[in-house]
Amino acid sequence: MDKATLVAIVDDDVSMRQSLPDLVKKFGFSVRAFASAEEFLASDCVGQTKCLILDFAMPGMSGPDLQRELALRGQKIPIVFITGQVDQDLRHQLIAGGAVECLFKPFSPAALLKALNTALGVS
Amino acid sequence: MSQSTCSERNQAAGPMLPTVLEARKWHEDLLAEIERVSSAGGFCWQAGTGEMIWTGEVYRILELDPAVPANIRQLGTRIHSDDLPLFHDMIDRALRDAPGLTYQLRLRLPNQTLKYLQLCARRSEGSDGQSQYIGAIQDVSRRWLSEEALGNVRCELARLARVSSLGALTASIAHEVNQPLSGIITNASTCLEMLDAESPDLDGARETARRTIRDGERACEVIARLRALFCKRGGKAESVDLNDAAREVLALSSNELRLKRVVLRTEFSEYLPAVTGDRVQLQQVILNLLLNAAEAMVEIEDRPRQLLVRTDLEAPGRVRLSVQDTGVGIESHNAERLFEAFYTTKSGGMGIGLSVSRSIIESHRGRLWAERNAGPGATFAFSLAAHEGGRGTQSLGSARLPTNTERLVRSA
Repeated sequence: MDKATLVAIVDDDVSMRQSLPDLVKKFGFSVRAFASAEEFLASDCVGQTKCLILDFAMPGMSGPDLQRELALRGQKIPIVFITGQVDQDLRHQLIAGGAVECLFKPFSPAALLKALNTALGVS
Repeated sequence: MSQSTCSERNQAAGPMLPTVLEARKWHEDLLAEIERVSSAGGFCWQAGTGEMIWTGEVYRILELDPAVPANIRQLGTRIHSDDLPLFHDMIDRALRDAPGLTYQLRLRLPNQTLKYLQLCARRSEGSDGQSQYIGAIQDVSRRWLSEEALGNVRCELARLARVSSLGALTASIAHEVNQPLSGIITNASTCLEMLDAESPDLDGARETARRTIRDGERACEVIARLRALFCKRGGKAESVDLNDAAREVLALSSNELRLKRVVLRTEFSEYLPAVTGDRVQLQQVILNLLLNAAEAMVEIEDRPRQLLVRTDLEAPGRVRLSVQDTGVGIESHNAERLFEAFYTTKSGGMGIGLSVSRSIIESHRGRLWAERNAGPGATFAFSLAAHEGGRGTQSLGSARLPTNTERLVRSA
């Protein structure tokens, strides 16, 4: 697996921002975490990000808002949504809308790894 | 002539004598009837000797035989034991020539019936130069019981409103607990990965274990806040910091606000005096205003959904909390109707939130109102008197009802 593959995490929840990066790092990726969609867009990571782990509900710009914004900018970053709402309809809707996966918190490391691999086209 | 004049006088005086008696009798009957209708009797009390004169209605209220000698000790035998300190305070004040006496006392009759009395008297000087008090005793049991019933209904309605807000909050609570739980699972998984590696990363594992504990504590805090918010109890009078109370409610409703894509801003006055009241009831009001504001912004797409929660001093000694939204706003002709029970502009609303909120604020001797913003949206605000050190809680309407509720439960 390419060590330099950059995975970005955007979640307003501090627990997730603290715990997820280490796990993703253990999977062998490099990681950057952001507290909001706006912060991510303003960073220098947008062009380099190979996969985005994106919280669905955030104050200000929501996950889907960021997805739309990236599409408008022509940035085709695969997105794995994560959400605290257990809602299968929402999950299907997000996947139909182009997301790679939608994971309900709390999710297992194996499920996250599987989603990341799918996003990056690794079998 | 003189004879006839005399006989005329006699004729005139003859029928007059019974008329005076009749008039007196008529007045006595009238007074007795008034006493009965108003459940109020009169008394005269020689404070020095304790001797009293009671009218018929006092005997009836006390359920004593009119042959029983009237005096302050006799009255004392009927007073509820919990109110005896109050009763003795009244006697002490009378012995110290207080100009007026106003007391609310309860009677405990031999058949265990409870009665509520209102006693008012004014001091005057008797013919012997000694202090005497002339006044009235009124049986106000009916009014008390209906006030108690009203207090109970209000408490129950407030609890119901909390429960109905619970529906809206369930998602929020689940989310609040879920976040740290997700952190715990991710951290613990990472920790295992670090330990299972060929060369275990012990420092990394320690750090993830520490984060696991932190997330666990975060989950516990959410549960503790919930316990405080949803346990059923009557109104309490305690010192409440509105900033803290609002922060707790905001912490619990943050997900609800996030889901509705509301941008929250707070402006909490740093030097805010405490207020006296029931913390949970006041939080119920704050929660209600927040959820209403969020609801009012659901359909707004052309501008930011901004929510501003602010605390400040409305005037010296008066604390204000306001919730300002950029939602659909209110029609000026609806501004007052909003506070009526079962009036709602929301499809899913029961229309009791604001009405209960207002009754809670009014029971705290405060004011709750709505106003239109200069820009889009509306502001709902309430103001309460700041807590005055040493004044205690006797002046608080809310402090009395729950006490009586407890009494009712005890005596039932």
